[in-house]
Amino acid sequence: MSGFGQALVVFRKEVKDAFRDKRALYSIVIGALFGPLLVGFMLNRLADRQRQIEEVRIPIVGMEHAPALIEWLRQQAGVEVVAGPADAESAVAERQEDVVVVIPAEFQKKFRSSSPAQVKVVSDGSRTTSRPKVLRVRGLLQRYSGEIGTMRLVSRGVSPAIATPIQLEEVEVSSAQQRAATILNFIPLFIVLAAFTGGMQIATDSTAGERERGSLEPLLVNPAPRRAIAAGKWLAAAFAAMLSVLLTTALVLAMLRYIPMQEFGIRFRLGPAQIFGLLGAVVPMCLLSTGIQTYLSTFARSFKEAQTYMGILIMFPMLPGILSSVYPLSSKPWMYPIPVLGQHVLAADVLGGKAPAWWAFVIAATAALVGGLLLLELTTRLLKRERIIFSR
Amino acid sequence: MIRVDDLHKSFGAVKAVDGVSFTAPDGAVTGLLGPNGAGKTTTLRMLYALMRPDRGTISVDGVDAVAQPQQAQNRLGVLPDVSGLYPRLTPREHIEYYGQLQGLSGAALAERMRQLLHILDMEKIADRRAQGFSHGERTKVALARALVHDPRNVLLDEPTNGLDVMSTRAVRDIIRRLKADGRCVLFSSHVMQEVSALCDTIIVIARGRIVASGSPDELRAQTGHENLEDAFVALVGLDQGATA
Repeated sequence: MSGFGQALVVFRKEVKDAFRDKRALYSIVIGALFGPLLVGFMLNRLADRQRQIEEVRIPIVGMEHAPALIEWLRQQAGVEVVAGPADAESAVAERQEDVVVVIPAEFQKKFRSSSPAQVKVVSDGSRTTSRPKVLRVRGLLQRYSGEIGTMRLVSRGVSPAIATPIQLEEVEVSSAQQRAATILNFIPLFIVLAAFTGGMQIATDSTAGERERGSLEPLLVNPAPRRAIAAGKWLAAAFAAMLSVLLTTALVLAMLRYIPMQEFGIRFRLGPAQIFGLLGAVVPMCLLSTGIQTYLSTFARSFKEAQTYMGILIMFPMLPGILSSVYPLSSKPWMYPIPVLGQHVLAADVLGGKAPAWWAFVIAATAALVGGLLLLELTTRLLKRERIIFSR
Repeated sequence: MIRVDDLHKSFGAVKAVDGVSFTAPDGAVTGLLGPNGAGKTTTLRMLYALMRPDRGTISVDGVDAVAQPQQAQNRLGVLPDVSGLYPRLTPREHIEYYGQLQGLSGAALAERMRQLLHILDMEKIADRRAQGFSHGERTKVALARALVHDPRNVLLDEPTNGLDVMSTRAVRDIIRRLKADGRCVLFSSHVMQEVSALCDTIIVIARGRIVASGSPDELRAQTGHENLEDAFVALVGLDQGATA
């Protein structure tokens, strides 16, 4: 019988065994669920907050002193004017309100005499969550001030342009948009992570677990090449990892359908090209991740020790994700063959709408395959060592 | 037939097997008898080619087990010292897995599985997962999967260790049946009665060396002890400390 056929026998057995193992199923499903749910939750919160900012409710103390201003505010889209609390400052300090506008009694008198009329905006600068709202209120008041100023100049026969030495043009990159983009950056991380979590249980159970149960010795007495046995176990783990990647991708796609991305002003397309791009970037990676896991677990002296290695290993796929949130990674060709990093930049580019060249995928996939085969060879050598077979 | 010549194996400074030679013929049961740590398991592990001897030759039906381990394994059915099962697979699936690894498939494998389940009286548990099986049930499954390819030579490392009376009888029946079929059976034990009840030839091993071999009667004659257990104790030198 060929070694290939025996590898297939081992593969089928390990997959069947794993699908009866609740722990293996959990590691596939939970690994796949966690990321999409987290991203969905965060985006949803962001969308809610965005809606809150646009529909601003402004508590105003002393509305009666500036009826024209109040009337103007009420005409603005999404603005609701309500009577402010008696003690504006303590209301904000005690977080009952994010922002309170106070119009003093002399507003009307100063306004009529064309001298600057004071309006107080009470806010707490240390509260980052209320900042967008405060900015919006301040912006509304400044716009009103500007409009009145322009009218005054025009009525005196002066061009308003004279009073505008600098014209500010603000390019709006709202914070919500940025944050949404940051959250979307997590998606490649979670998909790459699934390539590591999905096969973990099979990789450890079929090697360190096999030895701990005492079933490795009788297995190796069968006249099958060690390479075939190692390959069957490796590929079974890779298969589970790929399932986990597919499941994660499907869940991300399903989740993104329910998030109104246009509210963040983000152009985000997820067509077949993007889906295949994502899978093309990450699926080959499963061969390498499970190759490392199978090797380490075969090497480990016990199931517990194998699990410790897995815990350390899971840090690696997180590195590019963490790096990219601090220091934006732009894809460079030298990154493609580097495991994890290559997949990360490919996936990020695919999601960002910049389709990488086909050869970038080929390079990344080849690097993962070569790495996986190399580790298969190392695992095969371990399985030939008496110390590995009999140390229990 | 298994032929072993001048086998040596050391672990660091410890000489586990130190010049063991013997022949286990077809159609006979050969017993490796010795106290714990005498080198029985190490000898068997070299025979089924999971350990490489430092020196010496092993031939299984004429195949050099050191140079061609897989061809030798093809001719061997092995019940190792530790024979763990897969708790989530059924006995039928265990036998099937090993059968496929041995290159069996289709109707031939199905027929062999049916036979083994019948011989070992496992039909009732054949489709139950191995989780929670008794020691006896586990040994039967391990034995069945070891014999799936109907090997010419059978190696059993302490097959009845820790078994209850009924399971021990089942294992003994299998050994007798294999002998009647003309197979070469080699098994190890540290229990005197076990070996004397089954074996045509007993090889007594102590501290990595063969101290005596022959039929039970020959051993009795050799040592001058009527009782086989006394003969055993005299042979392995366990009483030396007490008498010296």
